[in-house]
Amino acid sequence: MLPAVSVRETVSLDQAAAYPEVIAVRECASARDWDGARRVLDTLPPVGRTMALRSGGEQPGSEDFLRERVERDPADSAAAAALAFRLIDIAWEIRSSYGAEHVSRQQFTDFHGWLRKAEVVLIDAVARNPRDPALWTARTVTARGLELGLAEVRRRYDKAAALDPHHLPAQNHMVQSLCPKWSGNWELLHPFCREAMLAAPPGAVQGALVADAHIEHWFDLPAGTDTAYLTSAAVRDEIHEAAERSVLHPGFGRDYGWVQAASTFAFVFSVLNDRRSAARVFTMLGDYATKIPWTYMGGDTAERIRTYRRRALSGGTR
Amino acid sequence: MITRTEVDGVPALLAPTIGQSQAGLAFRVGFADEPLARRGITHLVEHLALFSTSGADYHYNGATGVEYTIFHMHGSEAELTEFFAEVCASLRDLPMQRLDIEKELLRAEANGRTRGPAEAMPLWRHGARDYGMTSYPEWGLPVVGADEVRAWVARYFTRDNAVLWVAGDRVPAGLRLDLPAGERRPAPARSSALPITPAWFPGSSGVLVWDADVPRAASSSVFAGVLDRVMMRELRRDGGFSYTAQAGYEPLGSDRALITAVADALPEKNGAMLGAFVDLLAALRVGRVDEADVAAVIKKQTEALRNAEEQGTRLPGQALNLLAGRAVRDVDEMIAETRAVTVAEVAEVAVAAVASGLLMTPRGDADWAGFTAAPEHSESAVAGTAYVSLNDPDARLIVGPDGISHVAADDRCITVRFADCVLVRVWPDGGRQFVGPDGITVWFEPTLYAGADGARAGLDASIPPAVRVDQPPRARIPEPAPRAEEARRSRDAARSWDRTAGLIGLIVLVPGTLIALLVAVGLGFTFSSDPADIGVTIGTMVLCVALAAAGVVAVRRSWRRFRV
Repeated sequence: MLPAVSVRETVSLDQAAAYPEVIAVRECASARDWDGARRVLDTLPPVGRTMALRSGGEQPGSEDFLRERVERDPADSAAAAALAFRLIDIAWEIRSSYGAEHVSRQQFTDFHGWLRKAEVVLIDAVARNPRDPALWTARTVTARGLELGLAEVRRRYDKAAALDPHHLPAQNHMVQSLCPKWSGNWELLHPFCREAMLAAPPGAVQGALVADAHIEHWFDLPAGTDTAYLTSAAVRDEIHEAAERSVLHPGFGRDYGWVQAASTFAFVFSVLNDRRSAARVFTMLGDYATKIPWTYMGGDTAERIRTYRRRALSGGTR
Repeated sequence: MITRTEVDGVPALLAPTIGQSQAGLAFRVGFADEPLARRGITHLVEHLALFSTSGADYHYNGATGVEYTIFHMHGSEAELTEFFAEVCASLRDLPMQRLDIEKELLRAEANGRTRGPAEAMPLWRHGARDYGMTSYPEWGLPVVGADEVRAWVARYFTRDNAVLWVAGDRVPAGLRLDLPAGERRPAPARSSALPITPAWFPGSSGVLVWDADVPRAASSSVFAGVLDRVMMRELRRDGGFSYTAQAGYEPLGSDRALITAVADALPEKNGAMLGAFVDLLAALRVGRVDEADVAAVIKKQTEALRNAEEQGTRLPGQALNLLAGRAVRDVDEMIAETRAVTVAEVAEVAVAAVASGLLMTPRGDADWAGFTAAPEHSESAVAGTAYVSLNDPDARLIVGPDGISHVAADDRCITVRFADCVLVRVWPDGGRQFVGPDGITVWFEPTLYAGADGARAGLDASIPPAVRVDQPPRARIPEPAPRAEEARRSRDAARSWDRTAGLIGLIVLVPGTLIALLVAVGLGFTFSSDPADIGVTIGTMVLCVALAAAGVVAVRRSWRRFRV
């Protein structure tokens, strides 16, 4: 029988749900009200702005109206970034998120074709506005997908970081590029994440990058050896240290990216069966969650989250 | 101050110099005028013309370039007079007994020359004709004969196709230029091998080279200077990708100029170097041109002009202008023109430059950056007899009445048609190298294609005599790669052994496994009836079960080997 505590059953997997401004931009974009979107965007801090642009680009069909905007005003780097994010999304929908060995030749051709369209928009936009971190963030994605090499991804990331040192969206993409499945290796990935965490102030979201790296590492290992990796003392300690520096730190606020950071730790604590820590993060999250990394568990993502959340919040200890 | 005069019908420019007097005689002829099958003939003329002066103890040299051939001399009035008298006399009656020796010397010179990173650019931009010649070795030399040399001289080395410049107080009184009459030969039209620009092709040296075709103008020269500064800043100082990062400007013909940018990088930085270069070009193209850069370049270029005027080093350029059909420019006028260049004009040049650009990538492609791949293949293959490659059974050589093609396994082809073929190098062993005007090269190697030797006679009959260049025997005649053949044979052998082993395994193992299984089952039935031998029975049964299990595994393995 379930314990008497009330456990919420709703799971909101909408990345934007926790950020009203991001939702506002998305709604403006879907209503093709770019001036309205700009009014919100122009007030946002860099990370929120990049997230909102990314989200604005998630609307199917928005590429046509965004392209019109870019053609009308090539200096509108926000429109260029939203358009590029949209084109990148189309590219990835074609590619799918499976490993490269499961992607057909035609899929790769189309994937690269859409990424090239995005890249052409971005080259022009960056030429006009080299100081927009959203553009450089989008360019870390195109560089990865077009396989331009780690040095070029790194150059683009460095441009974003020079403009906004703790630009989480760019850091997330750098994490992907540094994974062996793209062009990196673990020896590059783990130090990158640790350095990003230590460079950010205590209580910042960057601690989640360390957890991300371990989750990627864990996911890449063959079934059977993966759990041993994650539960090894060294990795466990690093995850806890990262949590203490971010989601479990008293200074952890509600900065852009907090849902993603908390969701990452909720996931990793769930896999570690550390219910007490998981409960703290799930409580903080309420209904909010992010698909990534939960999709790594397979199955129905929302159902998985519900199950682990219920288990953590049901009062059990580790 | 440059003054214009004339010496024996040759237009001449005179300007004072602060150093020793010097003079140059230039003819409007260079590599760009040579057909590929006579590539090297101008250089050969230059060498022959200077032979008679080679014993003299003064500072002279000759230079053969893309559009001009120059004889140049530092010295006293008497020395200048003597030198040019010798050169003109030689041109009237070249020492043809030196022909073979000078050809050998030219080969030695070519052998010692290091290839620059930009060497392939003209070929890709223009093909194997006119301005593309710079990319090619002096492949015509073996067949250049005395009569052809005389005809070449008569056509180009005339007083009507020449210009003289003298940096000194005056034209030496005794200076004579006894040259035959002829006519001015304008530089050839520039062919294009690029259907679409901006274009790219893959380099192999890890060096990035980019060039652009722009109007000959002060603003273009300033753009090149700005590009040079931006490259130095972005690729070297800030990016740390490149050691060399530079751009230069070079006039071409009467009204165009070529801007060339070169950057190097360590292999692991190639991608970032290319990315940074694409970005800096785009920034200039959209008009993000730094005013301070423009000002700095204008300052540098006007100072250089002023210095050149004082040293008399502006003279050669102005003399060549005259040959190209342009006016002689006053230095103040040029300085004023350079000073007047605006940021907006530089940005305009950037737009034109980027649109006409040709990029040699340090690695990988540049499609992602909006460049189109320069053609590497022909549109179609000729009709004819196909000969299968001994290295790749899916590739073939096609020899037909109209030309020769190579068709690769992926069906992409390269074709040279006899009608417009620009060079065929012919080796005694049967090897033939066909070069088309677009620069496409097809090799006929009878040792590498099954039965191709039979096509040789017919092929040779189709070679236009004017483009045939016979070669001395080669040190190495190509042979089919042994690895391809051996690998196939050993793979076949391994497969056949695997099948045999698999079959033997099946014949032996299947009954063995069944027997073991039967014994185990049989013992199982007799188990209770004979309690006295229970230890032995259980032991035998366990053994038989184990044997049967091992047998099943082995049968599966044999079956897999057999199926290979």
